[in-house]
Amino acid sequence: MKKECVAMLLAGGQGSRLKALTSKVAKPAVPFGGKYRIIDFPLSNCINSGIDTVGVLTQYKPLELNAYIGNGQPWDLDRSDGGVHVLPPYVQEDEKGTWYKGTANAIYQNIGFLEQYDPEYVLILSGDHIYKMDYSQMLDHHKATKAACTISVMEVPMEDASRFGIMNVDENDKIFEFEEKPKHPKSNLASMGIYIFTWSKLREYLIADEADEKSSNDFGKNIIPAMLGAGEIMTAYRFKGYWRDVGTIDSLWDANMDMLSADSDFDVYDSTWPIYARTSVKPPHFTGATASISHSIATSGSEVYGTVEHSVLFHSVTVEEGAVVRYSIIMPGAKVEKGAIVEYAIVAENAVIGAGAHVGGEKSDAPEWGIAVVAQNLKVGEGAVVAPNAMVTRNVKGVKA
Amino acid sequence: MKDLHGIIFAYRESPNLRELAQVRNACSVPFGGRYRLIDFALSNLVNAGVDDVGLIVHSSYQSLLDHVGSGKDWDLSRKHGGLRILPPFGYSGTNVSSEHYRGRMEALAGVRSYLQKIRQDYVFLCSGDLAANLPISEAFEQHLSSGADITAICVPSTTSDPQRTTYFTLGENNKVTDITVGPNVPSGIVSLECYILSKSLLLSLVDRCATHNAHSFNQGVLLGMGDQLDIRAFMFDGYAAHLMAIGGYFIRSMELLDPRVRASLFNPERPIKTKDMSNPSTIYGTEAHSVNSMISDGCVIEGTVINSILSREVRVEKGAVVENCILLQGTTVQAGATLRYTITDKNVRVCQGRMLMGHGTYPMVIAKNQIV
Repeated sequence: MKKECVAMLLAGGQGSRLKALTSKVAKPAVPFGGKYRIIDFPLSNCINSGIDTVGVLTQYKPLELNAYIGNGQPWDLDRSDGGVHVLPPYVQEDEKGTWYKGTANAIYQNIGFLEQYDPEYVLILSGDHIYKMDYSQMLDHHKATKAACTISVMEVPMEDASRFGIMNVDENDKIFEFEEKPKHPKSNLASMGIYIFTWSKLREYLIADEADEKSSNDFGKNIIPAMLGAGEIMTAYRFKGYWRDVGTIDSLWDANMDMLSADSDFDVYDSTWPIYARTSVKPPHFTGATASISHSIATSGSEVYGTVEHSVLFHSVTVEEGAVVRYSIIMPGAKVEKGAIVEYAIVAENAVIGAGAHVGGEKSDAPEWGIAVVAQNLKVGEGAVVAPNAMVTRNVKGVKA
Repeated sequence: MKDLHGIIFAYRESPNLRELAQVRNACSVPFGGRYRLIDFALSNLVNAGVDDVGLIVHSSYQSLLDHVGSGKDWDLSRKHGGLRILPPFGYSGTNVSSEHYRGRMEALAGVRSYLQKIRQDYVFLCSGDLAANLPISEAFEQHLSSGADITAICVPSTTSDPQRTTYFTLGENNKVTDITVGPNVPSGIVSLECYILSKSLLLSLVDRCATHNAHSFNQGVLLGMGDQLDIRAFMFDGYAAHLMAIGGYFIRSMELLDPRVRASLFNPERPIKTKDMSNPSTIYGTEAHSVNSMISDGCVIEGTVINSILSREVRVEKGAVVENCILLQGTTVQAGATLRYTITDKNVRVCQGRMLMGHGTYPMVIAKNQIV
């Protein structure tokens, strides 16, 4: 059946900058903010914006992501017409199929999927951003400007502009130039990696791009410059509000900490724009007689007997008596045993921090300081010390007292 | 698929639950923070591999239906079988009292044609207001191997009112030798009023009771036929609370603050499922204190919470103190207010600086949507 707009969510990236956190799962499946995984934000935005057909392009470590998406029911995307579809690369006729070579190639390989819905427009999303956005307003803007492509942008501080893809626009917000991470930025309008294309146009450019053997088949590097070069109408859609790229350990930690502050203009408690998630079946969390918990978030199934400050606890976390968790992110099922100290750290799913161990360290300006990370299912032995900025990817032996 | 069918009775009125059961069926009374009582019966059956469940309702079942929906949250929304809601007058040719069901046997007679169509050979009967995590699989195995006509799930003792309790005296092989219904003092082991029996025996008992003007399972089956049937007890030693009065509701709820009780009721091997509400995590402010309390998702805690159970989306503002309380979904306790031994129903607002205090044996109850 025809759909006006179909969303395609790019979820196949390796997410190598998240290091140990993505050693077993794709980046969009990384837990975020107590209750969520990163992909919950774009999926919830889609359904809240009235987009009920979403293709999720997966490639790297897809098992957990596929299981999480399932039939799409948590996001009301279990539909007989449309709904969410997981789209891995597959072997095509003549055995020509390949892995997705780039973001544009991933869409190219799924032209057949898109054509089933005969869409007027295609919304391209990525799976590593935390934000709430009404895509229907962006689509209205796209239609009103009769653009071939609309790129969502936000103003960033001028001094940070060289870290982003920067759009140079005229007085009507028409894009005349795109610069990827420019050394000397001419504007501070950063691309948010959210595009709406008029499908008939995008289809032409995808086919032409695929024919070009030198192309790296990427939206930012190839498709957008080609469309600009050909004089297509390309407009910037200005977004105001909270948006964070959580592609690195530091940015993931920062964005989690934003969840603790009422003034970060990111309100997940707003019932008019709910963020949906596949939730665990766990009883309410429990704070014991010895617990002290402040400026933190906690989720069902957790048991807190120690001290928790400025931290994000996911579901089924245990913090034993005498343990201290500060400025840290403790992912589902992880356990901090008696007397252990975890500070400025990310402890991944089901990891165990042994009694008396010390993970991470007080924030400092020293160049070697950073967020410590303990990967999934690992055990940091009793009394062991994990230095700030460490990336723990194997079990750490305990120290005998 | 297990050869067992579940029937949950959700028709009983519970006036002693006062304000909590005025606006809803006892089975949809909230319990343990995020749950409704019906969640336990549904989850117990599903965890035992039971695929087909009939839910017998009679009146004020709107909130119950809102909660269970299609049964999807318990994996009971099936193409074949699954959850069936059985309201009165749903079947033609039945002759039942229009006011309310006078007992389980009358309720079963009201859905006799449903019973006839049950695909399984055995039926599990239970009440929808029992909070317990029951090993129904084990009870069913015992039923099959013992050759009993009826297996009753029992606990050694209860703190509930004896006059509302059915007691058994056991002989050899857990065989029930004497039955006492509602005595003045406890007398033997306690029936949780959960029974396993074959479909054919159930049908014949329903017919016999209908023609003998016996409406309840106690009168018609246990007392009326007890000497002709082989009834055996399956002993359960975990937490089980039949919630029929507000005092008991408060005391049995507070027991959940004991980790051993939580371990029994929320046994991870047999998870209790409930309706998914998509709440975010609970956020604690910089001045928050929370001690010995059970707190559901979606709360905002800026004040002090001690020895309490909070449902979803409760707000406790700065300087507010909540001690020995049960606050149901959407309660707001404004800055500086103090609540002790108080149960607030859904969406209650306690305004700035108010003080409310009940007692452990007689908690204060604030009805749904009230502003104090």
